[in-house]
Amino acid sequence: MRKYFYIFKTELMSNLNYVFNVLFSFIGYFIHILVFFYLWSYIYSDSSQVINGYSKSQMIWYVIITEVIWSVLAGRSFCRKISEDVKSGNITYNLNKPYSYIGYLLSSKMGEMSISFVLYFIGAIILGLIFLGSLPSINIIQFIIVLLSCILACIISAFLIIIIGLFAFYIEDTGPFYWVYSKVILIFGTIFPIEFFPGILKNILSYSPIYVVSYGPAKLFVNFSYIESIKILIAQVIYIIITYLLCLLIYKKGEKRLNVNGG
Amino acid sequence: MEVRKEFKLMFTSAKYALMREMLNKVTFFSNIIFMILNNASFIIQWIILYSIKDNVGGYSFKMVMLLWALASFSFGISHFFFKRAYNLSNIIMNGSLDNYLVQPKNVLLSAISSDVDVSAIGDIIYGLIVYFVCGFSIDTFILFLIFGITSSLIITSIAVIVGSLSFWFTKSEGFADRMNNMITNFATYPEGIFRGVIKIILYTIIPLGVVSYIPIQVLTNFNLINFLIVIGSCILFIIFAFIIFNRGLKRYSSTNLMIARI
Repeated sequence: MRKYFYIFKTELMSNLNYVFNVLFSFIGYFIHILVFFYLWSYIYSDSSQVINGYSKSQMIWYVIITEVIWSVLAGRSFCRKISEDVKSGNITYNLNKPYSYIGYLLSSKMGEMSISFVLYFIGAIILGLIFLGSLPSINIIQFIIVLLSCILACIISAFLIIIIGLFAFYIEDTGPFYWVYSKVILIFGTIFPIEFFPGILKNILSYSPIYVVSYGPAKLFVNFSYIESIKILIAQVIYIIITYLLCLLIYKKGEKRLNVNGG
Repeated sequence: MEVRKEFKLMFTSAKYALMREMLNKVTFFSNIIFMILNNASFIIQWIILYSIKDNVGGYSFKMVMLLWALASFSFGISHFFFKRAYNLSNIIMNGSLDNYLVQPKNVLLSAISSDVDVSAIGDIIYGLIVYFVCGFSIDTFILFLIFGITSSLIITSIAVIVGSLSFWFTKSEGFADRMNNMITNFATYPEGIFRGVIKIILYTIIPLGVVSYIPIQVLTNFNLINFLIVIGSCILFIIFAFIIFNRGLKRYSSTNLMIARI
């Protein structure tokens, strides 16, 4: 485990030099939130209206949290990096290293995400306070549980992106798969809570990765319940195990197909 | 005559770039199909919003789809023919502009039209499909094509203008990216949901008024003055893009990058 901690630490220290870049990329996040703020303000005719169990303030806080989890992942570049590693043959440099490639990817990604997660989270809370005036009713212990759930969501998201990136063992361009994945997460998990979808779809989504990567943490933030939090955390742990095993399986199978010419 | 030659060269360049991309047919078609699916996924978002409220920002569901059709069609044209306009900052910063300076053609046009974005074909097809399903009529189809071209030229011009800032400022590629993303973000939402300062910005700094909103008004209810405003704005943006780029070009000093072009 220590070696992965060192990879995490190295990536974290290296990203500390690029804090300004993170702040700059926050502009993109701000624009997204601005659009959704105006959209939901228009949809909710008055602030006391409740739609599918969500008030206007809860709805906007929901989007603020799901967008933080999605934005700090920077999934497109992460997916492209993995695909390029496979396609260019760079992945072979990892074969003779005393670590697992999946472990390396996760620990370096976590190191990279740590800085942006902290800065985005602080920025998002300030933004929410400016737009909405107050936080949802949540105490410090509940807030820590939400943060933990957000971190677990980031880990699962990273594993899901690794799975898509590793498809490069089988197809040349994994980009299109990433587009569709990102839109599924955006539509079914980021913009709308699961409650907005009709019956059968709602049930399917409750067992899908969307429940653990975006809906769960955001739902806890806007309407905390200890029973719900235990359910979400258990589901997240199960998903971490499943996605990790899937990554390993695809990597091990893909490794056998690897054929690198030249150097 | 000179303009005709430039256009001929641009289309030839696009043709060969397309042929190169078609070498791998699976990747080529999957890029197009997945881009269509990618765009189509947003229909779900609007179905849900319209199940809550009949009218969003003064737009009916059909009008939002028309907004999407125009945005997708024009973004597709722009990204297909002028892919490198969205990477102009990097071309300037790393000295790749040298390649185009030695060619006996217009530097800006050569630089931005030397590659194609295959997935943009998916955008163009999606835009046309949505238009045919939601708003087709023979009268407006010509208008739709004209606005598709004007909008694509305006957003390309904006990409050139913000990309050209790299002639003056280093590290301005982040700003160019944000500006281009901002246009994409706002272009697919009805203008009626935005209020106050944002609305003013959408008609000035981010000129979505002439890219999306006014063309949609003209498509649904023809107005000659608004039509001319769009055409005039398009011409002005193109002229402005050329002026900014050419002024910047005088400051260009290349880099010590050495690469072989095969």
